[in-house]
Amino acid sequence: MSGRVPSAPGTVRALQTALTAEHAAVYGYGVAGAYLTGSTQAAAAMNDWVAHQVARDHLEAVLRSLGAQPTAAAVAYQLPAPVRNASEAVALAVVLEERIATAYLGLVALSNDSIRDYGARQVQASALRAAAWRGGTVAFPGMTAAALARSRKRS
Amino acid sequence: MLPLAAVSGCDGADVLAAPPSPAPAVTVLREAIAAEQLMITRYTTALHQAGAAGGSAGSLAGTLEPLLAEHRAHLAQLRSRLIVPAGSKASPAAPHERAPAPVPSGVSTSVAFLRTAEQDAVTAMRQRLHRAPSSLAQLYASIGASEATHVPVLDAAAARVTP
Repeated sequence: MSGRVPSAPGTVRALQTALTAEHAAVYGYGVAGAYLTGSTQAAAAMNDWVAHQVARDHLEAVLRSLGAQPTAAAVAYQLPAPVRNASEAVALAVVLEERIATAYLGLVALSNDSIRDYGARQVQASALRAAAWRGGTVAFPGMTAAALARSRKRS
Repeated sequence: MLPLAAVSGCDGADVLAAPPSPAPAVTVLREAIAAEQLMITRYTTALHQAGAAGGSAGSLAGTLEPLLAEHRAHLAQLRSRLIVPAGSKASPAAPHERAPAPVPSGVSTSVAFLRTAEQDAVTAMRQRLHRAPSSLAQLYASIGASEATHVPVLDAAAARVTP
């Protein structure tokens, strides 16, 4: 994100939502990584874990620059499903990326060009990671069927 | 006695004037629709070429058809956002300023062509973000992200197809 970012409540709220999703992703990749022991998957999990740490740190810095206190990470997070083996770890990574993409679409909805562009880049990065873990693509990363229907009514 | 137009505050000439130009967001949406239509045409052509070539090229269908289905889903969503007034003869899609480049013959060349087209589509979709209302910006970002994921799929397909 470059340029002046407005400190409107909606902006801070959307940034905090993205930060919360990044905290959960950092935690979740920590869990998933323990089960992804093959060299290719372990390297991918490590790369993605680091990418989420970088994004988390960036969001925290932006929030501080706006005079907001960044949301702290929870001690632990409830996983969407049990993770006991590599395939469940991969499934967790996919869910984490889908949630991250949804959170960053919240930034795309803001009117500031710089934030909107950053949000779109993060949605794209998340979609690429999710596709790699899933082994397939989807038509609307980050958008649920309900969200697609809702936004169709609004536009 | 005042003329009716003066009493009502209406100007008859304005009422009958040409309709106003579409809002910028509508123009951008039409561009996005045209771009998806073009992409669908390109995939359909490439699929025909791969089918005609047979052999390992024929197996490309398993890669290209899911991507084509996603472009069709993109087009359906984009079209659903465009409200065309009843009786309007206007095309829902903006016409292309220049004739688009045809899909080259040869299976590996056409896969490389699709890859470049997907990358260009990602860039174009990102540029539309700043000229769109919030809900459309989210749709453009999501579609752009989907198209970005097509690039590595086409890379893998290109590696499988011998020129």
